[in-house]
Amino acid sequence: MTSISEQLVDALGIMIMGMGLVFIFLSVLIVGIGIVAKFCPAPVVAKPDALPSPIATNRLDPKLVAAITSAIHQYRA
Amino acid sequence: MEGLMAFWAETGIAHFEAGQLLMMGVGCLLLYLAIARGFEPLLLLPIGFGAILANIPNAGFTEEGGLLWYAYHVGIETGIFPLLIFMGVGALTDFGALIANPKTLLLGAAAQFGIFATLLGAIALNLVPGFEFSMTDAAAIAIIGGADGPTAIFLASKLAPDLLGAIAVAAYSYMALVPLIQPPIMKLLTTPAERSIKMEQLREVSKREKIIFPLMVVGLTILFLPAATPLVGMFCLGNLMRESGVVDRLSKTAQNELINIVTIFLGLAVGSKLSAGEFLRIETLGILVLGAVAFSIGTAAGVLMAKLMCKLSGGKVNPLIGAAGVSAVPMAARVVNKVGLEANHQNFLLMHAMGPNVAGVLGSAVAAGVLLAVLG
Repeated sequence: MTSISEQLVDALGIMIMGMGLVFIFLSVLIVGIGIVAKFCPAPVVAKPDALPSPIATNRLDPKLVAAITSAIHQYRA
Repeated sequence: MEGLMAFWAETGIAHFEAGQLLMMGVGCLLLYLAIARGFEPLLLLPIGFGAILANIPNAGFTEEGGLLWYAYHVGIETGIFPLLIFMGVGALTDFGALIANPKTLLLGAAAQFGIFATLLGAIALNLVPGFEFSMTDAAAIAIIGGADGPTAIFLASKLAPDLLGAIAVAAYSYMALVPLIQPPIMKLLTTPAERSIKMEQLREVSKREKIIFPLMVVGLTILFLPAATPLVGMFCLGNLMRESGVVDRLSKTAQNELINIVTIFLGLAVGSKLSAGEFLRIETLGILVLGAVAFSIGTAAGVLMAKLMCKLSGGKVNPLIGAAGVSAVPMAARVVNKVGLEANHQNFLLMHAMGPNVAGVLGSAVAAGVLLAVLG
């Protein structure tokens, strides 16, 4: 029967090695996912609501449109 | 009169021992938690009933040839039940959130620190008189910190079969207690400002990426960690069946009928390990304490890693999602979402937490593989 201190040293060794291996394994997986993502183009999502509806635009007051546009610009700056 | 005496000698009343009554009480407690409190009822109910059956004097359920004896030897000693469950979990898991934000794999890795710290703790507990955990015992106890039932049962059946009952009960009880154990630790380690950080919306993930992912995981496991292939292999098989979309029937069976059937027998077989002779020992107390410690350290390590990522990314990562790195899918992710909502009512972290959550499943399978490779 080995002494407890020896066992503790062993356990510490397993801890360091184990955490190292887990991190290395999952890091390699991160790189792998990155490579696959480069070769797989993102799926094209149709966004019908992104297109401005002509009827709605016609009804808007041009001054209001200008106000909104400047507000957006200020917000983004 | 003689017939009556013979009958009396066969009744339960004449043969009850105090330990058996106590263990039946434990079984009833598990049933209460499952039925009245809704804690992991799918497992605690069969485990609780199994505990009652296993402690009936003269019933012979757990003796050679009995139902529970067969369930244990066919399903758990061979490791088949936990592996079938793992296949079902794979078929139930959507890796989309993880593939969209692969860095969360690091959170799943950090949370495994709970496992390895507890390994040290279990050996240190040998300093207390009455405890004598070998290194394999310690490893089997430590895996409770992985917060993954099937992994814990698989590793315990390989490394420390005599501790299996206590380990399985501890693992599933703490998984049920995630909503109570995690929030205080999460709040202690983060500031309200950090908790209310909103994260960017995840990108769309193509079907091809989702199909390649399980194949890639298996490939890496084959190359670097063959000891983990039983767990990771079955998990990825289930996931490939789900994502490929060509075997819907198999995928549905793995997700529903098969996992349900196996769960019944797994629960009964684990319950059969709760017989008075095997469970009522000082070691059980140590295992319950160590399990809670493992869980807490894992949560803390995940949150701290997420804090580091938050600093490095300039405040784009909410540190709470690190807590989901201890698998316990999907409970841990839901807890993260709830704590996040408390800090900011418009902050939905569920999808962001699913990434580290499923990463935690992979992480604990890898950690189990490392322990098996070193000690098995």
